[in-house]
Amino acid sequence: MGFLVTTLIFSVVGIIASICSRICCNRGPSANLLHLTLVITATVCCWMMWAIVYIAQMKPLIVPILSEGE
Amino acid sequence: MDLLRSETMQLVQLIIPVESAHRSISYLGDLGLFQFKDLNSEKSPFQRTYATQIKRCGEMARKLRFFKEQMRKAGLSPSTRSAMSDDVDLDNLEVKLGELEVELIEMNANNEKLQQSYNELIEYKLVVQKASEFFHSAQNLAAAKQREVEAQQRGEGSIDSPLLLEQEMVTDPSKQVKLGFVSGIIPREKSLAFERILFRATRGNVFLKQSAVEGPVTDPASGEKAEKNVFVVFYSGERVRNKIVKICEAFGANRYSFTEDLGKQYQIIAEVSERLEELKTTIDVGLVHQINLLQTIAYHFEQWSHLVKKEKSIYHTLNMLSIDVTRKCLVAEGWCPVFATNKIQNVLQQGTVDSNSQIGTIFHVLQTKESPPTYFHTNKFTSAFQEIVDAYGIAKYQEANPGVFTIITFPFLFAVMFGDWGHGICLLLATSYFIIGEKKFSSQKLGDITEMIFGGRYVIMMMALFSIYTGLLYNEFFSVPFELFGPSAYGCRDPSCRDATTAGLVKVRTTYPFGVDPKWHGTRSELPFLNSMKMKMSILLGVAQMNLGIILSYFNAKFYGNELNIRHQFLPQMIFLNSLFGYLSLLIIVKWCTGSQADLYHVMIYMFLSPTDDLGENQLFFGQKFLQILLLLAALVSVPWMLFPKPFLLKKQHDERHRGQSYALLETNLDDSDETELHHGSSSHEEFQFSEIFVHQLIHTIEFVLGAVSNTASYLRLWALSLAHSELSSVFYDKVLLLAWGFNNIIILIIGLFVFICATVGVLLVMETLSAFLHALRLHWVEFQGKFYEGEGYKFQPFSFASLDTEDE
Repeated sequence: MGFLVTTLIFSVVGIIASICSRICCNRGPSANLLHLTLVITATVCCWMMWAIVYIAQMKPLIVPILSEGE
Repeated sequence: MDLLRSETMQLVQLIIPVESAHRSISYLGDLGLFQFKDLNSEKSPFQRTYATQIKRCGEMARKLRFFKEQMRKAGLSPSTRSAMSDDVDLDNLEVKLGELEVELIEMNANNEKLQQSYNELIEYKLVVQKASEFFHSAQNLAAAKQREVEAQQRGEGSIDSPLLLEQEMVTDPSKQVKLGFVSGIIPREKSLAFERILFRATRGNVFLKQSAVEGPVTDPASGEKAEKNVFVVFYSGERVRNKIVKICEAFGANRYSFTEDLGKQYQIIAEVSERLEELKTTIDVGLVHQINLLQTIAYHFEQWSHLVKKEKSIYHTLNMLSIDVTRKCLVAEGWCPVFATNKIQNVLQQGTVDSNSQIGTIFHVLQTKESPPTYFHTNKFTSAFQEIVDAYGIAKYQEANPGVFTIITFPFLFAVMFGDWGHGICLLLATSYFIIGEKKFSSQKLGDITEMIFGGRYVIMMMALFSIYTGLLYNEFFSVPFELFGPSAYGCRDPSCRDATTAGLVKVRTTYPFGVDPKWHGTRSELPFLNSMKMKMSILLGVAQMNLGIILSYFNAKFYGNELNIRHQFLPQMIFLNSLFGYLSLLIIVKWCTGSQADLYHVMIYMFLSPTDDLGENQLFFGQKFLQILLLLAALVSVPWMLFPKPFLLKKQHDERHRGQSYALLETNLDDSDETELHHGSSSHEEFQFSEIFVHQLIHTIEFVLGAVSNTASYLRLWALSLAHSELSSVFYDKVLLLAWGFNNIIILIIGLFVFICATVGVLLVMETLSAFLHALRLHWVEFQGKFYEGEGYKFQPFSFASLDTEDE
């Protein structure tokens, strides 16, 4: 689906998650900021890992060589 | 954000009038937001004001412990639903406890006495019964013998017989040697030794007859059941009697007197039986009474013990206050968070009102240079993560708290090492059992390991959720890949697929959209590909986390207003790390994006060895050589930048401050005492040793420079553990489950399944979890926190009743 499209999907999911956390647990400005930080950190971590795995397979230097008996 | 930096704390002085002291402290304990400082630390425990009160509480606690012992012996347990009746006053409670204790002790003593006499009577009855049997049978035998002799006498009428007869008839009672006897009861195992010793001591001049008692008999002295024998010893002579009595006492044989008269025997047995019945009823009534008393105690026990603990802690706290006898008030000093000021003032007001005092408590904020304790306001979710951070060191007051990021990055790094969504689901199920039963478990008393798992349930939940995510990315469900997100990218070169095992497949479609392509599993080139990808991933994640750490040090420096640290520590550190390892990360990404065949090891090493050489086929982008030389120079410049400026600037700062003070001394006319005081203050406060500062900075620089290389390499453990996990998982699947499946036998399949489950739970779910947990922890404590965290604070420990129950157990 393309790198950019999926990155966009990740950012949209992140925004929706932060809005949800603001709606569900609205407990004062400092708690809101904490929740926002947690959601953004989680989104960034997950996106980074996906991006690394995706980019590593975009232009492969090694290809799968099946083993005997498959 | 509250969790990022400690709550602002203030040093507060409370001046409490004596009459409202107890109540105010009690209310403060309920609130749990004030940490008292010990103002009487030089005094011994006996010199303190409230030592007698504490002794009273100690006495009451002892009585309560005694009651608990008694209840345990009777098999009762304190009822959990304690009577929350009106506040029992401490004095009343003391009196009540004293009364109950006396009553209980008396009852116990009485019961024991009654029981003892009961047992003695039982033994007496047995002795009488058995001994009368002896005598009865012996008399029968004697009577039979007598009749025989008489028959013989009547039968025989010869000349010799009258002489014999005379001799026999001469045995009249007065010349008869009177036989005495001793009767009693002795434990069976000692009976043989008893017989032997008796024989030896009396030179065989006694006759012992024993008879066993069926069934065990309770010994009155020891209260235990034992097998016993009834014995009767026949002897003649007073001295022998003394010997026998002494031997009986030595062997613990109980002696009971016995009459030969048959009528009296029956009478005695009847009397004894009657008495036994009476005693039994008395003992039973006594026991019922005791159990009733213990039950009433059990009903109130929890409430009483809680009250006593509370009072004891209140008096301990009161002992920490300094007493001002002239003004009849107590002075307390302590730390409290600034946000709690109103609450504390309200509570103190309440205390004044409730104790009918004329004077209110004074709440006075003090200015101090002391470092306040650190307080983070955590809830049940964040407290577990904060504990993980605190285990390394409590944050200095108002330092940036790594706990904020640890909530996400710790489970994330765990998941990178654990990635398998099947195992993640198992962990999630296990921890949801604890989370759903939260209320039930928090009131129970759990074992040590269960307690730890329960405390960390939210950590494990986060770890499980992230593991499911990384498991989907690595495409491993108990090491089996699935094609969940679209078709695989790889296909055969030609329709016949001849080269699949030699040259391999080719990329025919777009990249597999989410995670590792499922075609890789089981191929010969799986490990080289995955190893390369995971190692590069570890470096990228590591550089990202270390940069986050250095940025947090920037925020710390900005918060404390430490310009020096920003310019001469943060900047050179950022430049050094990113010009080397940031550049490596960039190279990795560019190589992946362009698909070039450049050798990154070669590029990095020759960047240092011969930077001006032509790159040739290792060129990844235009201008690379120029960029590399630039970055190398930047890194080389940043090292002395980290080392030299800071000590010199610190010295200059210190000199300025010092010079300023010496000006003040010259201008103002201070008396001698003030002068010396100032002098002492300044010299002791800032012992500025330039060499020490310089060495400190040198160590810091070397640590950072070498650490940059070693810490980055340390992140490779993410790759290592993830490889170990996937290999173990794949071995268990291929060599256990598939092997069992191949036999086509249901029994072998069941055995195989059982072994697979045991191995998965034992090795992968328990051992690997602990292992990945430990390594993720190490990465956080050393590589991440080492970049910015000082951790030299102390924890805020308020006086609170909520922590009482846990700390005393």
